[in-house]
Amino acid sequence: MVAVAGVSLLALTACTGPAGGGGSSQGGGAAGGPIVVGTTDKVTFLDPAGSYDNGSFMVMNQIYPFLLNSSPGSADPKPDMAVSASFTSPTEYTVKLKPGLKWANGTALDSKDVKFSFDRMLKINDANGPATLLGNLESVSAPDATTVVFKLKLGNDQTFPQVLTSPAAPIVDDTVFSPTKVTDDDTIIKGKSFAGQFSIDTYKKNELIAFKKNPSYQGLLGPAKSDSVTLKYYADSTNMKLDIQKGNIDVAWRSMTATDIDSLKSDKNVRVDIGPGGEIRYIVFNFDTMPFGAKTATPDAAKALAVRQAMADTIDRKAIADQVYKGTYLPLYSFVPQGFTGAIEPLKKDYGDGNGAPDLDKAKKVLSDAGVSGPVTLDLQYNPDHYGSSSGDEYAAIKSQLEASGLFKVNLQSTEWVSYSKQRTANGGAYPLYQLGWFPDYSDADNYLTPFFSKDNFLKNHYSNDAIQKLISEQLVTNDKAKRTSIIEQIQTDEAKDLSTLPLLQGAQVAVSNVKVNGTKDTLDASFKFRLGVLSK
Amino acid sequence: METKKSLFSRLPVVSQLKKSMGLQRGMLIAGIVMTAAFLLTAALAPLISPYGATQRFNETQAPPSSVHIWGTTAGGYDVFARTIWGTQTAVLVIVVAVALSIFIGVILGLLSGYIGGWLDRILVVVADAIYAFPTLLLAMVMSIAISQGRSNMWSGIFSAAISITVVFIPQYFRVIRAETIRLKAEPFVESAIVVGASSVRIMARHIYKNATRTLPLIFTLNASEAILTLAGLGFLGFGIEPSSAAEWGYDLNHAQTDAASGIWWTGVFPGAAIVLTVLGLTLLGESMNDLNDPRLRGRKRVGKKKNGPTKDEELVDA
Amino acid sequence: MTAMIDLPQAEPAAQAPERKSKAGGSLGKYLLVRFFLIFPTILILVTMVFFLMRVTGDPITAALGGRLAPDQLAQRIHEAGYDRPIFIQYFEYLGQIATGNFGRTISDNLAISDMLATYGTATLELAINSLIVALAIGIPFGMLAAYKRDKYQDAILRVLAISFYATPVFFAGLLLKLVFSIWLGWFPVSGRAGTSTEIAMASLAAPTGIYWLDALRSGNMNAFWDIAQHSVLPAVALGLLTAGIFLRLVRTNVIGTLSKDYVEAGRSRGVSEYRLLTKHAYKPALIPIITVMGLQIALLLGGAVLTETTFEWKGLGFQLAHYLTARDFVAVQGIVALLAVIVAITNFIVDVVAALIDPRVRY
Repeated sequence: MVAVAGVSLLALTACTGPAGGGGSSQGGGAAGGPIVVGTTDKVTFLDPAGSYDNGSFMVMNQIYPFLLNSSPGSADPKPDMAVSASFTSPTEYTVKLKPGLKWANGTALDSKDVKFSFDRMLKINDANGPATLLGNLESVSAPDATTVVFKLKLGNDQTFPQVLTSPAAPIVDDTVFSPTKVTDDDTIIKGKSFAGQFSIDTYKKNELIAFKKNPSYQGLLGPAKSDSVTLKYYADSTNMKLDIQKGNIDVAWRSMTATDIDSLKSDKNVRVDIGPGGEIRYIVFNFDTMPFGAKTATPDAAKALAVRQAMADTIDRKAIADQVYKGTYLPLYSFVPQGFTGAIEPLKKDYGDGNGAPDLDKAKKVLSDAGVSGPVTLDLQYNPDHYGSSSGDEYAAIKSQLEASGLFKVNLQSTEWVSYSKQRTANGGAYPLYQLGWFPDYSDADNYLTPFFSKDNFLKNHYSNDAIQKLISEQLVTNDKAKRTSIIEQIQTDEAKDLSTLPLLQGAQVAVSNVKVNGTKDTLDASFKFRLGVLSK
Repeated sequence: METKKSLFSRLPVVSQLKKSMGLQRGMLIAGIVMTAAFLLTAALAPLISPYGATQRFNETQAPPSSVHIWGTTAGGYDVFARTIWGTQTAVLVIVVAVALSIFIGVILGLLSGYIGGWLDRILVVVADAIYAFPTLLLAMVMSIAISQGRSNMWSGIFSAAISITVVFIPQYFRVIRAETIRLKAEPFVESAIVVGASSVRIMARHIYKNATRTLPLIFTLNASEAILTLAGLGFLGFGIEPSSAAEWGYDLNHAQTDAASGIWWTGVFPGAAIVLTVLGLTLLGESMNDLNDPRLRGRKRVGKKKNGPTKDEELVDA
Repeated sequence: MTAMIDLPQAEPAAQAPERKSKAGGSLGKYLLVRFFLIFPTILILVTMVFFLMRVTGDPITAALGGRLAPDQLAQRIHEAGYDRPIFIQYFEYLGQIATGNFGRTISDNLAISDMLATYGTATLELAINSLIVALAIGIPFGMLAAYKRDKYQDAILRVLAISFYATPVFFAGLLLKLVFSIWLGWFPVSGRAGTSTEIAMASLAAPTGIYWLDALRSGNMNAFWDIAQHSVLPAVALGLLTAGIFLRLVRTNVIGTLSKDYVEAGRSRGVSEYRLLTKHAYKPALIPIITVMGLQIALLLGGAVLTETTFEWKGLGFQLAHYLTARDFVAVQGIVALLAVIVAITNFIVDVVAALIDPRVRY
């Protein structure tokens, strides 16, 4: 094909249209003007009550105020619109607002808006919304204009401050939004319900959003570093990659393929920034239907455990990360990814050669000790379209690793996403072993524990361990930070013995910027919030 | 016209080859050669390919070398092996799609044209409607209905084939129906009906004769369409997964990002395979169509000698 | 992916539903019957898509299947009413359509009418652009191929026409981008316009949605130039496909008319082949071409899906693929209904034209 190195010179010629018009109309790339950020994400709803996805939440983070937020480089919740926030009693979390806050449309931003935002979130409880994140919230009251009291069902909920930074918690204007219905984008834009770092100037859904700096923002993040930022939506990451190389956009944020990033790393005109990622990829075991599972012809819990452990001994995560993902994913040796408070790597020492690499002899021994003879047949399911197009390559690699050991025979099966989601738990476990991925709702280790390992987990894989259940409930309400951390570590260590899921990879956040753009790296932290306000050029 | 020739020379391709001349013969031969190469590759894939279709290597995106003469893909597959084995998948899709659509389309067209009345009206409206239906939607739905979205080799082949079938039935239907209606009004058929002879047999014979004139092109159209639709399905994640079978469209789709990064070998070969196969099939079909159509058949000397009107021509202009 | 090659003998008589009217039915009656056939066509399509979409799953599972337990999903599906008997949902939908209420998209909350207007105009613009390319290439080269029939020019042109068709759109698009955008730097990589033009277009008071028209109306020549540059590659990628069809069609029909009696007569009187071609053979040959052009509309819309994705052209085809993945019934039904209307009306016009030309083609 065509060599792509050194294309930027050529790009300049493309920008010189007649009468000098090209420069301005090509937009973005040239010096000055707004910073143009490309993304392949999508906005579903601008109304927080109606959407629960990365693409929409990214935009919300720029335009809506939060009670708590985290500053670039950190994931710890700190007061944003608030001056203080704390438990005033075990079941009461009180937030004091800054006085004199205003929406971009001029109306006052006070505790009424806050109460309104949370009340409507619970009331609307939209099928596609994040209201479930407020499961522990009983009611909200606003005793005065700058005070909000959250009444919780479960006392001392340590995740609640994080929930206030989550997709369930943007504050919206009660004069613009409907209290009972998801509000459409046009109403929000016309009503100027903005009080974050930016307002929206021009909005063409999933084509482009022109953000303008909000001069009256006085929260944690500080004023935005540039006056205007344009967000440009792509359908095909290859186009975004070509545009950042040509200088048509300044920053490319989510998602490019490993091949794109690998080739951009050697391009002098752009800079590839990599930060910790919250995305994990793992294999789920259904305890009823996996080999030797409870509902199979030969149920034997010890043998089933041996199968899971032997798989953990056999899989070479680093090879997958390097071969398939070119380092855009990292090996994951725990249930809580690295970068979170309390994350340790118990699988590294428990399985394989003790350093993260596989150990076939160990795998053989585990199986023979448990009395498993002959290759074990694994019916492994994955989805080719929901977790990126490389899933097929990832699972082909897993299959060949498992089969190369001679211990397993793998039947690989892939299914389109909607059917996959329905099938994975159908009839008590149509899929004995299957792929899933996870993006955190908020940056707390618990978001990787409760949903997966508590008795009523969303995997419905018939796994339960009373000791782990007890620890999970305990860490949730432990005020002492050090003590909570040690419980979280304990849960990971114990769960590593059970292996009800097999962690494989941890995603990295990758942003590619033109060398003229500063600040991109600052926002790639464990809060997973891409803050446009840090960008400048 | 068709009385004294041997059976061999009456076979579609052979008879056309005899009729052809000059450039037309060249195009026909090119089509035959390319199509034959395609079919032979499919039949001999196990002998030609050094590796299995789903055999994986640890060297990903390796450039062409003596071990992997066309390099490897991002998933660690050998491009040469994938391209060779891909012919088998393509042949299967074509066979299933063509067999189904000819069968159903011809039967419905005959019924509709012969019986007429309300049945005819309804079928025409439905056929028109389906003709307008987005193929991609149909292909997706079929893949889910057939296999609950499992993208293994056979469900991928059948969902591509059936979705093409549904969209192509109206075309066969229209051609056959129009032919049937026209023939029904022909004096010799009407008189046959009056004297009680088997009108169906007469019509079937004439329809067969006319259909063999249009079918080669429709056939190749269908075949190429099948290959391209399979590729489109792969584009949306409904195709055949690489761990089940080799499929050009999937490999080509996944090579797009490679191509933009200077990795040319993953896309060029499956891409060329698609282009050459469709080209060969279409050349074959179009040449045969031209040779069967007296107006388009090559003339020996321009303007000097005009082929006498044949029976075919009479039917066309009737 | 749709058929890119015309059917053999694609003359109006073969395309239209035909029946020799022994009673010599009046043209008016035929047109009336034909007009009322538009409605069942649309109804059939809408019905098909309604039931097919219900088979493929629901938007809630599509969006949240990886986050929620099956019982939570079932609860949400129940609240949204997607688990009610399908016929009740169907008649409810028909009732809504009858009152002109097409609803809002489930996955991104747009009014269907707005969605269709926004993305439909983008697709229309792409269709017009590519039709221009197709005609500009197809007609002259088709005539050349007919004139140079069976000579090497003819062979080259025909092989080229088939090659255009044989190359998958996304691959052709990629090659075009690499050569003309990255390598030569002549055209932008993707999109309908640069960001500043997009913003300018979005802030117009009463836009038609067709960018070059809007740019001309507002007198913004910079924007017009920018739009023109962005239009070239997508128009060529999609236009080449159709150009191949036109080329073959023109060739076949011109050859057909060249062998007609009156042309033969001219030839025998010593009129030059070139003059025959340009003066006599080409006009009659145009009629079937115009007819088939109408029929190409549906095919063009199909080909637009992949072209739009390849070039970030945010139009109906692109949106359709997106809404399908999201299982957004309402949106897909809306788009298909619009396609059905367009195709039904085009078919109607084609049939009327055919009936006017050839009186045998009537009900």
